[in-house]
Amino acid sequence: MYQSQHFDKYNLINGVWDEMYSENSTVRDHYQKVIQYLSQESPDDLAKKEELAKRLFMTQGITFTVYNSGEGIEKIFPFDIIPRVITATEWAFVEKGIKQRLTALNLFLKDIYHNQFIVKDGIVPIDIVYSCPHFLREMYQLDVPYDVYVHIAGIDLIRDHDGTFYVLEDNLRTPSGVSYMLENREITKRLFPDLLPNCGVRSVTEYPSILYKNLLSLSPRQISNPTIVLLSPGIYNSAYFEHTTLARLMGVELVEGRDLVVNNHKVYMKTTTGLQQVDVIYRRVDDEFLDPLVFNPNSVLGVAGLMGAYRKGNVAIVNAIGNGVADDKATYIYVPDMIKYYLNEEPILKNVPTHRLSNKDERDHVFKNINTMVVKKTNESGGYGMLMGHASTEEEIEKYKLEILKDPRNFIAQPTISLSAAPCYIGGVLQPRRIDLRPYALCGPDGIEIVPGGLTRVALTEGSLVVNSSQGGGSKDTWVLA
Amino acid sequence: MLSRVAASFYWLSRYIERSDGILRMLKINYASSQDSVDGFSWEPVIRIFSGPDEELMTKLNNDSRAVLKYMVIDKENHNSILNIITLARENARSVQEHIPKDLWQCLNEYYHTVKEPRIASGLKKDDPIGVLDVLIKQVMLYYGTAEITMERGQGRSFMNIGKYLERAIQSIDILDVKYGPLNANPNLLTDITYWKHLLMSIGGYELYQKTYRDGLEAQNVLEQVILNNDFPRSVIYSVNNIQRYFDRLKNNSNVNDYREISFHIGRLQSSIKYSSVKSIGQEGLHQYLIRVKDDLYQIGNQLNEYYFANS
Repeated sequence: MYQSQHFDKYNLINGVWDEMYSENSTVRDHYQKVIQYLSQESPDDLAKKEELAKRLFMTQGITFTVYNSGEGIEKIFPFDIIPRVITATEWAFVEKGIKQRLTALNLFLKDIYHNQFIVKDGIVPIDIVYSCPHFLREMYQLDVPYDVYVHIAGIDLIRDHDGTFYVLEDNLRTPSGVSYMLENREITKRLFPDLLPNCGVRSVTEYPSILYKNLLSLSPRQISNPTIVLLSPGIYNSAYFEHTTLARLMGVELVEGRDLVVNNHKVYMKTTTGLQQVDVIYRRVDDEFLDPLVFNPNSVLGVAGLMGAYRKGNVAIVNAIGNGVADDKATYIYVPDMIKYYLNEEPILKNVPTHRLSNKDERDHVFKNINTMVVKKTNESGGYGMLMGHASTEEEIEKYKLEILKDPRNFIAQPTISLSAAPCYIGGVLQPRRIDLRPYALCGPDGIEIVPGGLTRVALTEGSLVVNSSQGGGSKDTWVLA
Repeated sequence: MLSRVAASFYWLSRYIERSDGILRMLKINYASSQDSVDGFSWEPVIRIFSGPDEELMTKLNNDSRAVLKYMVIDKENHNSILNIITLARENARSVQEHIPKDLWQCLNEYYHTVKEPRIASGLKKDDPIGVLDVLIKQVMLYYGTAEITMERGQGRSFMNIGKYLERAIQSIDILDVKYGPLNANPNLLTDITYWKHLLMSIGGYELYQKTYRDGLEAQNVLEQVILNNDFPRSVIYSVNNIQRYFDRLKNNSNVNDYREISFHIGRLQSSIKYSSVKSIGQEGLHQYLIRVKDDLYQIGNQLNEYYFANS
């Protein structure tokens, strides 16, 4: 093991892939330079760096507000200063796999909202589609520009005990977190001067320009400067910081539902000099709140008549409406089949083996082995409504089983994947914590582009496997080496 | 520019200006509370920012530290610095991509400074002037940063309109409250410290010294605070600036709305320009101030309707 005071207490977790150490406890090549750098720093220096990181997040207002008993408390999204490093080979593999997967998913969405060949050919069962609450009949036979439904995808990847990458979920609706990818990098530049260029880390700063270029290409009006807006639920949304960051970096207007109005199937924004037509909406508002006339009638976050304008083709919406049918956890099971069906290719990235609980045999199997399983609701995200078999009491399990039996379609089960571990600076020393990876893929008329990097989320509690920020997770800067 | 964004600029600026006014007023009044034998009263200050409230006055019991705590960090007080700066920041947050990052960070720091424990503890047991100075410095940083970094566009015009509107209203309120007790207590007319503190609390004492050689006199103070073109906190100076920045909003697409508000501002400006201490005296100071304030409120309402799309 590497001789350094920071690593005295670094105990490899049994049966878990460690990003930094190989099985025989030597530092992997791609972590060498980082570790060398760290070993020259005293524990005090690292503590100072952590302090600096916190201060930078705070003064830049990179915070989210938790509303508790009428009072807003500012919190920063926990940031671990030690970067996560990915080799060029690993990245090439991941990039190829995501491109393949996203291509198939886009084709699936087009198919499912048009002719439904994949259903007719018996690949995907019809009940999966129609029982999904995110399948929207309003999208049926609607042509979207360039047949792109998923313009922005945040596909979550994890690594099992042997380092194999698995896809955990496809986030195809309004994936968030990309601003943390960008901000984490900015902070790391300040924390570790010269280390990034020395290690040959690829830049992520292109993201906003690529996204902007893609949004521009979607404008229904063929004019030189179409109006692009980012639709946010407003300052009380936990991702508001991200919305402003993206709007600022792309130079587009940040709007709320109340700033927009639909007239004669066209969308306008209210400005100090009258109404101005809007061509492209990058929305960070969920489907069901977008248009109170069509979806949730109580929503004030959306715009009345938006869906009508969209169907007329007078406005482009990013991501397309109704994408939820493709990232539903029950649909997830069929993604490898989709890849074979649409592309005639073998899937590059693996799925985590998943059991549908509506199938009685599979349900019995899951119930029998529930201690090694993770059970999830098909249409929940953010780590909510989950049962981690190995960490639950008998009572919790029995209660959850009853819930499953009420509506089995709503649940899937997966064997507990161990999640790889990476060094984190916790309590003054380096300790291994579990991580995942969310690269951001952008799909435009010219194909799919993925900036080399992503958001590495980390479960900061010892032994925890849940990386979601709502459940005590944090993040790390993610380095892809050239 | 989005109407909502324009409104946020305007309110952001009004709140900052208000916090500036409050902090300066607190600083001077605290100093004078340490400098007076025959019962200094916090009542006028409280009245300007919280309205007449007997219960509150009893509760604060004219205790300087209690008043400062109430005015600076009390969450229950709508016009406490803490609440005002929180609102300013919420407005800035909703237009974050329209203001320079420096300015946002500056405001953010102001907010976090007010929330620091040392502010509360300082007001409680250290020198309150030191604490107020820390906060006043934050406001000055804000103004400096805004001056250097803000794009010279519509956004800045709305900010400045908000700033000067707020300033004019504050100066009027101060005069109204300070001249109110004169009828009951004519002795105040010749009370030098009384007028000195009024001027100092709005930063006009030095200018007064230079302009009027014959000591402090109520009439002259009135003239300076309402009618002096060169005094940055005078009513006429503020209205001139509202006019100046509103002019820049002229645009081909909203001529009618523009004209209506422009007319209103112009009329108010002339009515102040062509009044004198004497004519104000004839109309009655209180009536005069109320009339000007009403006009200012109306301009605010018209902006709200025509430019911020809140009708």
